[in-house]
Amino acid sequence: MAQDATGAAATNFTRGIGLHTKPVPLEPYRSASFFAAERDRVFARAWLMLARVEELPAPGDYVVKSIPTNGVSVILSHAKDGRIRGFYNSCSHRGSEVVAGPRGNAARFTCPYHSWTYANDGRLVGIPDEPSFFAVDKANCGLTPIATETWEGWIFVNLQRRPEVSLAMFLGPFAVHLAGLKYQAASTPVVLTADLDANWKVVMDAFVETYHIPVIHPKTIGTTFSSKMNPFARLLDARKLGIHQAVSMYGNPEYVANPDNRVEALAYSAAATGSVIAAATTEGARAFLEHPSVNPTGSGTWSMDVNHLFPHTHIDCGPGGFWTHQFWPTSPNTCRYEVRFYVPQAQNVYERFQQELYVGRVAEIVLEDLNNVARTQRGIDTGGKDFMQIQDSEIGIRHTMEQLMKWVDADTVAEAMA
Amino acid sequence: MSVRTTLPLGFADLEPFVEQWAGATVDARMYARASADMAGIRRFYEVAVARGAEALEYCAQFPLDAMPDDAALLFRLMLGLAQASIAVEIHGQPRAPGTPWPNSITLQRGPSPFG
Ligand code: FES
Ligand SMILES: [Fe+2]
Repeated sequence: MAQDATGAAATNFTRGIGLHTKPVPLEPYRSASFFAAERDRVFARAWLMLARVEELPAPGDYVVKSIPTNGVSVILSHAKDGRIRGFYNSCSHRGSEVVAGPRGNAARFTCPYHSWTYANDGRLVGIPDEPSFFAVDKANCGLTPIATETWEGWIFVNLQRRPEVSLAMFLGPFAVHLAGLKYQAASTPVVLTADLDANWKVVMDAFVETYHIPVIHPKTIGTTFSSKMNPFARLLDARKLGIHQAVSMYGNPEYVANPDNRVEALAYSAAATGSVIAAATTEGARAFLEHPSVNPTGSGTWSMDVNHLFPHTHIDCGPGGFWTHQFWPTSPNTCRYEVRFYVPQAQNVYERFQQELYVGRVAEIVLEDLNNVARTQRGIDTGGKDFMQIQDSEIGIRHTMEQLMKWVDADTVAEAMA
Repeated sequence: MSVRTTLPLGFADLEPFVEQWAGATVDARMYARASADMAGIRRFYEVAVARGAEALEYCAQFPLDAMPDDAALLFRLMLGLAQASIAVEIHGQPRAPGTPWPNSITLQRGPSPFG
């Protein structure tokens, strides 16, 4: 690829994918009516990733998950028959939440209000003082199911009573892109959450572009993502995967730890070297990295890939493994953010020491972004600007907005996905 | 920390830092760093980093999930040193510049053990 005035290779992602190049509207980042449309026409109709199967591996295991955008508490339950089912966490008697969560193992769920009891496959099995009721149709008074499907270990739910499209149709080319990926350390995530003063897209946008990294994260990761060759951290690759997308990010091959960092040196003195997150370097880790959609351009200057699962989930892959971000809208200018870093169980004190450094550093990066997104939202809320100027390496922002507009406008999901 | 344990023999010089820096969870140790003043962080850092190699070597004799109480306390203090290093080696101040404190970031689940 040709270089331009910055010294970096020129890119042509936006036109290459067939997206327009006009400014992108800001109203969807502050409008109450757009927020309501996202809640009712996007989050209430799309398949939403809620968990991984490793969170409830054994029969009887359950987890309680929240969909804060729609105010829905979901019970995900692994019954004896091996199936994982989703239920609204609401009692058939007078509506109370049935299961407190966040996780456990039980054959039955008993409502804390008047002790109506349900089997973990949802059937109503016990009504105290049943003769005082008026012929309750028990067969129809089980927990209310939520459409639940699993793809490659990821558990999704759909709030439509009868989803218009199957999970397979919803995922489309995304499922092909990541097919067969061997997720490493999937049962040991480190989980951080934050309630942020910013529209969910403000936060999500900050994790799909690297343009800001040298500016907002100069000390934590700035030098990892940019270099003299690519000072503005332009993307390596961007692909449209139906309604989803994947971008691959540049990494600075010249980055070396500062030798004055005595604790960092201590962490890596005796232990095997390698990426922090992949403390356990195994065959599995190799298989993960050899997947054709991990570092899809085979670049020697690669840092990570963002696989954006519409509407609000990122499955990211880096040299050491995978992690996820989720951005749940809670109001026009607030959201709930959750990041899950899948870190192998440490085998010795050195690995555990490395993980402490890693988690501490990650929390600082999140903190830098948290501060930045609140400032961005305040600027947007002034109303002084109606449009954003979006560059080629910010393509993820443009693509998501285009998809959202379609979902908000379309009367059917098929139309939204066309 | 419910029961007062002391550090293994030979690490008495680190004893004054235990209460502040050897928290039981990542959250507690992160909090210790984020809410401390820089002079205090540096005092701990200088003393602890000088004993770091020895301390980790001592702890490494035991399985990670089955350390005697005194070794576990020493290891937790070393994890506190990892937190302190973020202030000393990255920011030159307790937290990333210009970031809010306290804030809504919550560590729901850390790496185990001592998470
Ligand atoms: S509301 Fe559940 S038993 Fe009454
Ligand atoms: Fe960032």
